Amino acid sequence: MAAPSRLPLLQFCSTRVFLLRCTQGFHGEPVVREPAYPPVIPSRTAKSKSAKKRREEDYYNQVRAASLVQDKLRLLTRLQRKKYVVYPQTFTLNADRWYQHFTKTVFLPGLPGKCSVGRQVVDKENGKVPPAAGGVDPTVLDENTFSELRSLVGNGILQENFYLKKRRPFLQKEQEHFVAPFLSNLVSSVTSSLAKYNPLLKMSSLDFNPEVSFYWMRGERTVPRGHRRGRVDPIRFQINDQPHCQIRVPEQLEEFLPLQESVSAEVPVVHFEPNRLPMFQRQYDNNIFIGSKVTDPCSYGHTQFHLVHDRFKRGRLIKGNLADQVEVRLRANAIASLFAWTGAQAMYQGFWSHEDLTRPFVSQAVVTDGQYFSFFCYQLNTLALTVQTDQDNPRKNICWGTESMRLYEQVKDGEVVGLNDDVLKLLVNFLLNKPQKM
Amino acid sequence: MSKVIQHGVRSTEPMLLVVQVGNAARSAFGNYSHSRRCDVSGRRFFSVTCALFGRGPPSRIEKKTVDIPGLERVTYADRMHYVPGLAKPVFPDWRRDWHDPHHYRGPKNEEMKLHKANPCYVFNQRTKILEGVRQALWLTKSKLIQGLPEHILSLAEDPANQIEDQGKRVQQAIRHSCFWDTTAIRPKRDRFCPVLLRDLLHLCGTLQLKHTSLSKSILAENYRVAALWNQESDVFQVRGLIGMLLNIMTPLPEVIQSGEVLATENHTLETFCPISPTIDLQSTYVYDQKNDTGFRDGYPYPHAHTLFFIETEDSAAKFKPEQLRAKMIMFAFGNALARAKSLYGEHPQVLEQPVVVQSIATDGRLFQFIVLQLNTTDLGPDTGVKNLIWMDQDQLLYDYAKCRPLIKKKAVTMAKH
Repeated sequence: MAAPSRLPLLQFCSTRVFLLRCTQGFHGEPVVREPAYPPVIPSRTAKSKSAKKRREEDYYNQVRAASLVQDKLRLLTRLQRKKYVVYPQTFTLNADRWYQHFTKTVFLPGLPGKCSVGRQVVDKENGKVPPAAGGVDPTVLDENTFSELRSLVGNGILQENFYLKKRRPFLQKEQEHFVAPFLSNLVSSVTSSLAKYNPLLKMSSLDFNPEVSFYWMRGERTVPRGHRRGRVDPIRFQINDQPHCQIRVPEQLEEFLPLQESVSAEVPVVHFEPNRLPMFQRQYDNNIFIGSKVTDPCSYGHTQFHLVHDRFKRGRLIKGNLADQVEVRLRANAIASLFAWTGAQAMYQGFWSHEDLTRPFVSQAVVTDGQYFSFFCYQLNTLALTVQTDQDNPRKNICWGTESMRLYEQVKDGEVVGLNDDVLKLLVNFLLNKPQKM
Repeated sequence: MSKVIQHGVRSTEPMLLVVQVGNAARSAFGNYSHSRRCDVSGRRFFSVTCALFGRGPPSRIEKKTVDIPGLERVTYADRMHYVPGLAKPVFPDWRRDWHDPHHYRGPKNEEMKLHKANPCYVFNQRTKILEGVRQALWLTKSKLIQGLPEHILSLAEDPANQIEDQGKRVQQAIRHSCFWDTTAIRPKRDRFCPVLLRDLLHLCGTLQLKHTSLSKSILAENYRVAALWNQESDVFQVRGLIGMLLNIMTPLPEVIQSGEVLATENHTLETFCPISPTIDLQSTYVYDQKNDTGFRDGYPYPHAHTLFFIETEDSAAKFKPEQLRAKMIMFAFGNALARAKSLYGEHPQVLEQPVVVQSIATDGRLFQFIVLQLNTTDLGPDTGVKNLIWMDQDQLLYDYAKCRPLIKKKAVTMAKH
């Protein structure tokens, strides 16, 4: 360790030596000095890209710092701009691919193992069925309960279609006239019967005609003309959905797949602008709503029931040469509605695009037109859909779904012909879904 | 003057005119005299192009043609134009040979197939009768007992019959319907009233764990009931589209045994002279005599359990509590009578097995409860066995449900929910 030598004054004055002296390491601990001036950061109000970035950063920090969820939601939805309104039940063609692109969802046909195979109906004599592959303990439903449910469902169908004397419905009100009361009866009676097997249903809240809405941003576009021409804007979307009824629970459902697990299927990418679907823009209140406000204890979703509107009924589609669109529209409905519901649930817990989910949010849906039922499960893994947050995000949202299955063939002379037990079993499985610890 | 489509229903009686106007307009112009149009009796205006509150087209008062036999009237029919001094020609009625809905003149009341000589007094879902419960008691030949029957009260008090955390769950249901159900600050009454009822019914549905007999019930919506009876030489009917009915497989047990039922013979019905008991009921000469429960034969849930009445968007159907109780009584009675007649026949008789029907009405905050036991279908004479009604009125579910903070003298007195 060389001691600093005493150099003559002349040498000290020369710059080269001065540099040499300065580059020699100082001995002892490095002295930490407090910065005398604040950090040099870009301006807030200047008309520059760095100022814009700083304003955005400040905004994100403000949202992160908000303590209450209501404040966070308010900050995220305060500013109104033109946004694309996404309708879950839509007349557009091949909407399911577009909706998958907007919500970064992968569609897997069939249901996850937990819902489809696990639970079976067993006779009391034969004994229990061994547990399913997923390791989930199947709840055994006895024959008596299942046959009671069958008769409940059969009576519900008969009441609306045969026994209750009704006038002829007005044009395009057949679903509301015949099917909506049957669906309400079905849901309330089956939920009440299954409450003894699923304690979650005892604490649940059943809403009829709730409003579910969600607001998010995905992708960017350059403004083509006008005084803001050339500027890059995020593309905003809003869903305002009204399912026929939904079950909300105070505890979250278990995930179907772990969060980090990657799925082999790909999210379809659509290179067109959303208005080519066609989808139209409007500007109004940005709402994020699961069906009730943040203060409601039942803030997680269980199952939604959707009724297909008269305009999109199977018969009409087949008559209009759109028979292949039947399943497509059911899928589009499920993807859009479930994404909105799970997204809103996640936002109620404080997650948003820059604070991504730490646990997946799971919900189920049944889409029906009275006779045909299709079942869907959705797992929300990520809310980070904006261009900035999506760059290194490997996670995708997953939607499982079945094809539409007939519950019954027809109603003839006071009898339901061809009641399909498999559909009932799937419905029962859906409603019996609960977190493992319960 | 734009074209007014007139459906001339010529009736000999003055008709109640229905002016087709929205609720806001009706409330705003409620005091305006659209009496101009009401002066024109027997005409209904369905046009939406011209002003609904304006003066209608002038009524044509046609001069009667005096026909003196033997004297030929000299008319200007041959001249093809009006000539002063000559009589107006009378042409035979011309009828279009195809049905044009825009120029359809309906048949007169007397020409209709269902025209009867005696009027029928109909109670429908919009009727608000003047004397309220008293009038309903006279019409249904019943005796009123304040307070619900004991066995129902004991069922309610029994802790085994209560839902888990009942107080907390009911409070949550009230908060959900009153505050949390909408993105706005508070939902409107016609939104929160049915939501509250559905939430409470869902809570009651969870009781199925303990009482499996509750699974033998089903809700029916939007069904039409019709019941007919003769009372003191007048024909009465109850007709209407009801909100919700809970049907069950087995009938409700009778509240009071037959011994005490016979004791009601001594009770006299309260009359309210000079007001006629048929006041405010819709009187019509064209009616169909039928008794209909609203369901076909073979229905697996033939017995009525409870009727639910809730406040809806229809502003004409806004009821004061007294009128609402009267409506409840009348419709419970109508249901019971229709079922009794289908079970025991049309002949008026004292029932061995009384029919019991319950009813609950609410406007979101006030609840009214009624239990009706139909002992007799013999409603003609004033004397004899009476029907029984137990009533529990004006029960508040909660005192108030407020969500906006109340600021008085710069101090916040109530926190926001």
